[in-house]
Amino acid sequence: MGGRRSHSTPTAVIEITITVCFLALAAWFLFGPRVTAIPRTPPVAVVPAEISTAPVRAPLGDVPVAVIAGFEMRCMECHGLFESRPETARRLTQHTHIVLDHGLNDRCFNCHDDAQRDRLALRGDKTIPFTQVARLCAECHGPTYRDWQRGMHGRTMGSWDPRSDRQWRLICSQCHDPHSPAYKPFKPLPGPNTLRMGPLRKKDEQGPVDRADPLRHWQHEPERPHPPVPSKDLDPAHSRDDRSAQPEDRL
Amino acid sequence: MTDPPPEAGANDQSPSSGDRLDSGDSSRPTLTRRSFLRRSAAATAGAAALAASLRPLTDPEFDLGDVGSLQKFLQKHYKEMTEEEMDRALARIRREVEQRFGLTPNVRDVKAMDGVEFVYALNLSRCIGCRKCVHACAAENNLSRDPEIQYIRVLEIPKGTIDLERADHHYDRETVPDRDHFYMPVQCHQCADPPCVKVCPVEATWQEPDGIVVIDYDWCIGCRYCEAACPYWARRFNFTEPNLPADELNPDMAYLSNRPRAKGVMEKCTFCLHRTREGRMPACVEVCPVGARKFGNVLDPESEVSQILKSKRIFVLKEEAGTLPRFFYYFDERRPRSGANVPDAPAPVGRVELGDEA
Repeated sequence: MGGRRSHSTPTAVIEITITVCFLALAAWFLFGPRVTAIPRTPPVAVVPAEISTAPVRAPLGDVPVAVIAGFEMRCMECHGLFESRPETARRLTQHTHIVLDHGLNDRCFNCHDDAQRDRLALRGDKTIPFTQVARLCAECHGPTYRDWQRGMHGRTMGSWDPRSDRQWRLICSQCHDPHSPAYKPFKPLPGPNTLRMGPLRKKDEQGPVDRADPLRHWQHEPERPHPPVPSKDLDPAHSRDDRSAQPEDRL
Repeated sequence: MTDPPPEAGANDQSPSSGDRLDSGDSSRPTLTRRSFLRRSAAATAGAAALAASLRPLTDPEFDLGDVGSLQKFLQKHYKEMTEEEMDRALARIRREVEQRFGLTPNVRDVKAMDGVEFVYALNLSRCIGCRKCVHACAAENNLSRDPEIQYIRVLEIPKGTIDLERADHHYDRETVPDRDHFYMPVQCHQCADPPCVKVCPVEATWQEPDGIVVIDYDWCIGCRYCEAACPYWARRFNFTEPNLPADELNPDMAYLSNRPRAKGVMEKCTFCLHRTREGRMPACVEVCPVGARKFGNVLDPESEVSQILKSKRIFVLKEEAGTLPRFFYYFDERRPRSGANVPDAPAPVGRVELGDEA
């Protein structure tokens, strides 16, 4: 028995030592100073309406309806009764919300038909309903119209297959305001989460960094809510700018 | 010392009780009734414990933590699965989604269509950098919100160059587009000669007949070779368990595209194959408010992308990488709008302008 114990004791000691070593290593890997968490910022909330596939504009329908003084009016309900003056450069008394910003095209009757106000006027005597506005636009924007016909300009919806009956194309006025056709700038949706971590450090600003800090590649900034508000205080980037600006101040 | 026969008899009765060690060694003390009972009890308890611990393996649906279930562990490669095996896999995915998100998804295996090769075209003259595509993609494809994973990266590049070194996807503006920059969204280019597929050591990613490069999320070992091989930074890795609010889950799923992924696997843009293989548009195309994104079948001469490839000026990102992307950037022929976008643009002299503005 004595021989057995003398034989087993070193084995047990070795086993226990190895176990303790591995456990210590595991603890060091799990909780040690080199542990880096994945940098995280709170997820951004994107309202479903912001990624809606609906057309940007809802243009007037086949029989245009204008809301005037709270009443829904069809064109000819007024224009059929009152004879309007020939078009001159003057301030409008009705439809005053319309801002005409369409380049050289600065006359109402370039596009609208004088006699039938619920139709649009092509060159010559032809008129078309509002829903066929593309034919009118084509009179000036030929190459764009050609592209649109082939699907190279504008939005195609439903299906990628031109033979599918589920495919449809948006018409000009579903994206462009005919009176002010340039596409209006708007606020972009939030950028990648690294944007919300603050700007990346420049190489020359690296300096001594805490390797355990998951955000060590970024300059730390207070968490900005979306939409971001330009803040002048509490901002390390600004204090750094102030420091760099100091010598000039002394001069 | 005087009763070897009982010892032999004990061994005969219980050959599995672990007492065989004593049988051949005559110098050892013989087996007494007490020690026999003790050892038998210990062996029985051990065997029972082993059986209990292996019990989950008899239930193919039992959750084994990181491994998933035994069924998932033993599941075959996508290309080797029979229809019944695929049905079982889809049932498992359905069950897992129900457990995790509390709703029954419409998960299916959508095969490539015959005579279709998908191509993407993006109009750099029109893109305004609004990032709607980024978030529509995340919503459609059940991308992790925390940590954030996004397939599309919109680069903002100063006008007059296509130098990616000067590109910035961290732009943060009050309004877009900025007059001095243009915008170039980058996502998976579904290359015809994909470097990511070549480097995969387990063939967990491959190119489908319609050109879409897909991943079998259950076969991926997470080595990230493909991520390193991709010149477009199009592949994303799940470093942690992907998190997604249950009410934002898109239940319209396919095995190869947007079913929920697990920790430790790669994922990438699949041209929304659960939509496009059923004739619909990818989510990023349909949401683009300016119609800069175009998608279609390049084998069909009537399709929009065929028309674009025929008649527009095309730009291929990192053409020198030789990856033959199925993703093309194109431009409109147009002069700067009223000189506003390029302040120092010289007035055109002595040539006919073919601009689209009269």
